[in-house]
Amino acid sequence: MIRHMIVQNVLHRPLRTLITVVAVAVEVTLVIIVVGLTSGLLLESAKRTEGVGADIMVQPPSASVFIAFSGAPMPIAIGDKLAHLDFVQAVAPVLTTFNTVNGLDLIFGIDPETFDSVTGGFVMHAGHELREPNDILIDDIYARAKKVQVGQTLHIVGHDFNVVGIVEHGKGARLFVLMPTLQDMMGAHDKASVFFVKNDRSEHTPAVTEEIRDLLPHYEIRPLKDFISQMTSSNLPGLGAFINVMIGIAVAIGFLVIFLSMYTTVIERTREIGVLKSLGASKAYIVQIILSETALLCLGGAVLGIALSYAMRSIFIKLFPALSILITPRWILWAALIALVGGMFGAAYPAWIASRKDPVEALAYE
Amino acid sequence: MEPILKTENLWKVYRQGKVDVPALRGVSMEVMPGEFVSIMGPSGCGKSTMLHVIGGLAQATRGRVFLDGNDLTTMSDSERTLLRRHKVGFVFQKFNLLPTLDAYHNITLAQHIHGNGFDPHRFEVVAQLLGLTGRLKHKPSELSGGEQQRVALARAIVGEPKIVLADEPTGNLDTKSSEAVLNLLRSLNKDLGQTIVMITHNPEAAEYGNRVLHMRDGEVVDGESIH
Repeated sequence: MIRHMIVQNVLHRPLRTLITVVAVAVEVTLVIIVVGLTSGLLLESAKRTEGVGADIMVQPPSASVFIAFSGAPMPIAIGDKLAHLDFVQAVAPVLTTFNTVNGLDLIFGIDPETFDSVTGGFVMHAGHELREPNDILIDDIYARAKKVQVGQTLHIVGHDFNVVGIVEHGKGARLFVLMPTLQDMMGAHDKASVFFVKNDRSEHTPAVTEEIRDLLPHYEIRPLKDFISQMTSSNLPGLGAFINVMIGIAVAIGFLVIFLSMYTTVIERTREIGVLKSLGASKAYIVQIILSETALLCLGGAVLGIALSYAMRSIFIKLFPALSILITPRWILWAALIALVGGMFGAAYPAWIASRKDPVEALAYE
Repeated sequence: MEPILKTENLWKVYRQGKVDVPALRGVSMEVMPGEFVSIMGPSGCGKSTMLHVIGGLAQATRGRVFLDGNDLTTMSDSERTLLRRHKVGFVFQKFNLLPTLDAYHNITLAQHIHGNGFDPHRFEVVAQLLGLTGRLKHKPSELSGGEQQRVALARAIVGEPKIVLADEPTGNLDTKSSEAVLNLLRSLNKDLGQTIVMITHNPEAAEYGNRVLHMRDGEVVDGESIH
């Protein structure tokens, strides 16, 4: 009976129901997309780093797990010392920087010979490997996203590069140039941001890690086996706070819309509340009706929001192929739960008002 | 026999700004089980206030109200809610049906709130008695005034209340529909023994009851037995 009444109430004002459901859907979509975007970028970045194929990553003291933030404070000569350690098969120094023109892209300055010895070499889609100082390799996702082809010129970090090849994605960055060129551009001669270390056998990773720790105390020595698990928003300064703020804004939207919607509903249905009271409906019964109606609206909003999130992800990925949006069942549930709890808080006051209405005044309401 | 409803020196005073406005001034009356009592009086004489207080919708300022042996004046709001649920059926001038529900659900809503679940036999008896069997799927906006009031009457009696309190039940109806509703009230009283207290300002409507109480300025000024 109560279910029938709630459904009828929701259908009675279709426009208000639609607006409320859409507002909750926006809330859910905002949460899913913001979290999905950050998680997707982190995961994608982690996979690319793992894709280098190294066993250990060596960074300067206190360096971030995000290698792009590391700068270039390490002498490149460290690479020779690392190469002479037991069980070490190859060491690839890499200098990193960001390209901020038309997006945010990580650039690796590499020594092709050592980089290939660690990664196993690029899978070429088109063109050839780096040979000249102004050569640049781009990965297939970058090529597709920016519609760049071999033979074009790219103006990056104040420098004109010739695109000489398109490579399979997943080798740490999307753009690769020769290390000396990048060192010149950054004024970081004989410096590297990170060393990728490949061992002769992966079982030797703990031993090699210890060796490097002895050799370079205070440096960040990260085995890459569990790298993806370390790439969380809490490891990127400000990202966790950003996500929380966005979720807070989303919850505020849902809270206010539900509050207004249910408050208007309660005012509009004052006489009906009086009738229910005259029939002997308790305060709890009236609160139950208001909150159940809210739950139904939130549920509708959550379902629409999840569908919208998938639709938006498809559109975004089509428009920006370099983007990665990770939608997980866990965050779908969280987003729905956040919308539901926010909605319940929004409806709590109107429900309380409704339950406390004086039946005589309510029945006289015009 | 004990009265089903009894008031003793009943006062209801409303506060308007800094002024106390008495709506009931020491009303004492009794209604016996199975009676159909009409309360008549001009507008503003306190009839509706009287109905709200004896039905437990409003709390008395002074005096006593006994409904089926329960003193409403000592009850909390939730206790009076329970009492209304199980012992009182209201019929209003403006029908007060829920516009989103059809006639069937408007009636069964009362059973649902009553808490004893849906009683199909009782529902069938009431729907047939009030001639509603063919109109149950219609929403209030699709029913005439007379039909709406019959639905409201069905809702009031489906829970088998001890007393039905009707506030100007024919006030919004044309003559023919009024007569039909009043005849239904009378047959409910005569055939089922339903106790009814009806407020009206219409002398012809009042005569459908077996006793008429006259109110003026918040007091019962006299009473007369009709049948």
